[in-house]
Amino acid sequence: MIATLTDRYLDAAMRGVPEAQRGDLAAELRASIDDQIEARVEAGDTPAAAEHAVLTALGDPDRLAARYVDRPLQLIGPRHFLDWWRLLRLLWAMLVPLSALGVAIGQLLIGASPGAVIGNAVSVALSVAVHTAFWVTLAFAFIERSTPADATPTAWDPDSLPEQRQPSTTTRDLVASLVMLALFAGVVVWDATVGLVPGLDVSFLHPALTPWWLAGLFVVLAAEALVRILAHRAGRWTMRLAVANALVDLGFAGGVVWLASQGSLINPAFFTALVPSGGPAVSQVVGTIVVISVVVVSAWDVIDVLVKARRRTGE
Amino acid sequence: MSDSVHETHLQELRRGTVVLACLRLLTRPDYGYALLEELNGRGFDTDANTLYPLLRRLEKQGHLVSEWNTDEVRPRKFYRTSPAGTRLAATLTDDFHTIAQAIDLLPTTEPKGRRP
Repeated sequence: MIATLTDRYLDAAMRGVPEAQRGDLAAELRASIDDQIEARVEAGDTPAAAEHAVLTALGDPDRLAARYVDRPLQLIGPRHFLDWWRLLRLLWAMLVPLSALGVAIGQLLIGASPGAVIGNAVSVALSVAVHTAFWVTLAFAFIERSTPADATPTAWDPDSLPEQRQPSTTTRDLVASLVMLALFAGVVVWDATVGLVPGLDVSFLHPALTPWWLAGLFVVLAAEALVRILAHRAGRWTMRLAVANALVDLGFAGGVVWLASQGSLINPAFFTALVPSGGPAVSQVVGTIVVISVVVVSAWDVIDVLVKARRRTGE
Repeated sequence: MSDSVHETHLQELRRGTVVLACLRLLTRPDYGYALLEELNGRGFDTDANTLYPLLRRLEKQGHLVSEWNTDEVRPRKFYRTSPAGTRLAATLTDDFHTIAQAIDLLPTTEPKGRRP
């Protein structure tokens, strides 16, 4: 005997229903379908057309089965969506930069080329991001299916509202950053003239750093100060100032990375004088830490200011 | 306003009335298809793929009880409203009346100079 469309429909629908309910459900559904077909035939349809029309109206058998057993037809529904999204963003914000940073430090310490450092950090960051999204989503898909449909979502109360954002360019911010810039310039001058550690007659920065490099550094520091003052006077970070800030940061970080890659940033003699036994090794580690700190701090500043500028223009 | 938006609002408003109609109609036992016809005949627009799962859910919640009738050629599952279902129907009916009264007391929005 050839299976009818109804047989095939019932088979398909019952696949999505627990074994214990199948017999009863299938018998009832078949009777209902037959009733509907009969009514259409009495109204003048051919049996084949009637069957086709009735099954079409019932719709996708998997959807019908899901309705019978109250199975959600979404991966993560409105009850859990916000919790899922908040947790995912939190984990991304923590895990992605940390893992990229960890890989970059490891790669630098084993002396990998700059290309390998960036390439490995980016690929690890990507795979951490994808893995985090996958596992968090999988966990929430299980939660979606294991909590009863009438369970209420996580309680919310007004105390959990985020604090209002502070104005992005307070005078305190400006003073703090100008003082930091001045201190930094002072330390560099001190290092070049007296030596970083008094009584130890060697500079921390490489003595081969030409006055041009130092002059360049002061230009960058001055530019940074100027950008901050302009932002403070404008009362906010405009997109143009944010881009200028990014260029200044890029110039500073680029210079430091370039000098470090040439081995002419830190004075090797400084550590030999400081730690006679392990000078070169310490020099290598400190150089790596300096480079990474400069890159991370610069990147942070660029992103922070861009976000502030975008938030302001977005309002 | 487009007809489909209209239609969506109507569906939103009617959702839930089918449950009430089922509970009240099934004080007299009936089976799926006959109930579907009855509902549509009385102006409760219902689809088969909504009604059948709804009957199952109401049965699972204890508002309906069911029984197979094998006297006829085609065996059919008959549903009947349980005492719990009767109480639920009374509550829903009261609530519906309350809402209807509240709506009557709202400021009217009779469109001027348009079709009745």
